[in-house]
Amino acid sequence: MRFLVCLKQVPDSTVKVKVGAGGKAVATEGITWSMSPYDEYAVELALERKDADPTTVVSVVTVGSARGRDALRQALAMGCDDATLVNAPEDLPALDVAKALAAVAKEMKPDIVLCGKQASDDDQGLVGPAVAEFLGWPHVGMLTKAVSSGDAWELWREVEGGHEVWKAKPPVVGLVHKSDKEPRYPSLPGIMKAKKKEIPEKDLASLGVTASSPKIEVVAMELPPQRGGGKIFKLDGDAKAVAEQVANLLHTESKVL
Amino acid sequence: MRLEPSETERELALAVRAWAEGLGGRIARGEREGTLPLDVVRELGTLGVLGMTIPERDGGLGLSTVAFALVLEELAAAWPSLAVGVSVNSGIVAGSIVRDGTDQQRAKWLPRLVDGSGLGAFALTEPSAGSDAASLKAIAMRDGDGWRLNGRKQFITSARYAPFFIVFARVSPPEPARPHAGVTAFIVPAETMGLTIGETESKMGLRASDTSGIMLEDAWVGPGAVLGDVGKGFALALAGLDGGRIGIAAQSIGIARAALERAIAYGRARSQFGRSILEFEGIRLAIAQARAEIDAARLLAHRASRLRDLGEPFTREASMAKLYASEMTQRVTYSALQLFGGYGYMSEYDIERYARDARATPLYEGTSEIQRMVIARSLVTAA
Repeated sequence: MRFLVCLKQVPDSTVKVKVGAGGKAVATEGITWSMSPYDEYAVELALERKDADPTTVVSVVTVGSARGRDALRQALAMGCDDATLVNAPEDLPALDVAKALAAVAKEMKPDIVLCGKQASDDDQGLVGPAVAEFLGWPHVGMLTKAVSSGDAWELWREVEGGHEVWKAKPPVVGLVHKSDKEPRYPSLPGIMKAKKKEIPEKDLASLGVTASSPKIEVVAMELPPQRGGGKIFKLDGDAKAVAEQVANLLHTESKVL
Repeated sequence: MRLEPSETERELALAVRAWAEGLGGRIARGEREGTLPLDVVRELGTLGVLGMTIPERDGGLGLSTVAFALVLEELAAAWPSLAVGVSVNSGIVAGSIVRDGTDQQRAKWLPRLVDGSGLGAFALTEPSAGSDAASLKAIAMRDGDGWRLNGRKQFITSARYAPFFIVFARVSPPEPARPHAGVTAFIVPAETMGLTIGETESKMGLRASDTSGIMLEDAWVGPGAVLGDVGKGFALALAGLDGGRIGIAAQSIGIARAALERAIAYGRARSQFGRSILEFEGIRLAIAQARAEIDAARLLAHRASRLRDLGEPFTREASMAKLYASEMTQRVTYSALQLFGGYGYMSEYDIERYARDARATPLYEGTSEIQRMVIARSLVTAA
């Protein structure tokens, strides 16, 4: 069984977001980058299958600049077997990213392609379904679990109030949601092993991809307006008296009543 | 000599920091209940921390002492009680077996220190022999092809979690010119008949770390139990402590760093007299001093670590690092606590825990007075 997990490196969730000088993008100088959180869940889901069956191979791939190697190394340190970097401009349109990932999948012939359901930077959720479309494979979204069942896979997806279990024969694309199984930490032996692994590079041309998809242009980006500070009122009296004063304030101060 | 850690050494430490940041409520619970949860120790095994100092040929990672010091700093910054257990397990106990163990002993015992099923213990101190380890009283008598051990050991870190102990006992009485003659190291499995673990000590700090006595009453061990040479145990103990002192220096640094980070974070949110308390010069001087002392201690610890990695003598440098770092962490944790004002005295904030935990560091693995003796002896006899 072979998994191909598609990763994206994004600004770390602890980064305090600032708008860059051009007013069209987040300032990225000196910030910490990390693997997009849903992609981490995707890696974990694949590695769990590898824990259960050590013959399973888990490959990872990212499309973007050389900086993405860090996310790939993290995946290798978590226990993935191999990693591929597809060199491409940072602002490559999502559909072209999907084309490149689909081309890698065609070469690698995995049984299952996994993507995080969306990246935590632009939250478009576009690449995963587009990869399935370009490959002509079925896709299942909001995955939280994958269980091998004969020649098919039981794919658990989260729905309101419970789970749906779908069955799919490989090859299939799964879009992974957050689940109870937190992604594992890279182990120290994992980090040392990952350092010794080569990360081969590909480029769009060698994959037969031409960047031709429509591009989205961000017109302007600004931080939400600062919210005014709250007011603290000191209220005295028993519960009834305090309730009366609160009701009064909701009417006169915040004007919600 | 390069004192700055390499990129790999930093990366390993950051991986441990990421893990330690996820400990969350387990720390407060462990401290309240006075236990190190075994699942935490198991996770450290999975993470590869427990075997990081063991050579690759023995199934470890063969990483540098600098990397280990950085990792201990991270563990201590999160949970000092955990850091001391790991320092003893992977520093002193594993180090002694790697250095002096036979092939069979290494193959048998090192995996037990790595798998996270427990934490190894080093049983040197006795009720009447603390820093004066040469006066120890535990006795080992020949019995059949093995040895019969009798005596009492005190203040043994992780006694309750140990799969085995390295126990120091005499095979012959002290000689006038050689007070530590006859001292021998034995590997004693926890399940040995005649070995009992006493009550857990109630301590000022490091409450989740187990500190207990052990009693040896006709505890029989086989011929394979002697670690190193018969009668050469004292040198083995000293060599173990040299490495251990780097570990305690690293623990002290982690505690101080965490205290300072918390103090600054608290200061950011705290206003008095209409401005942030971080704008007051008195506070700024204190945090500047603290940071300079933390960095100085770290450089001392890394120098001792590098010397050890290079196979050079490092006894004096380890003592200097341990002395300075352990005394530094008293000053830094107390000035960090002071910055919190009255809140610093409340258990709601972690800062009082760090201040209590820090107090152990100038006491164990050689008091500050002993470190000064070691340093002075090396200077006086060098001439």
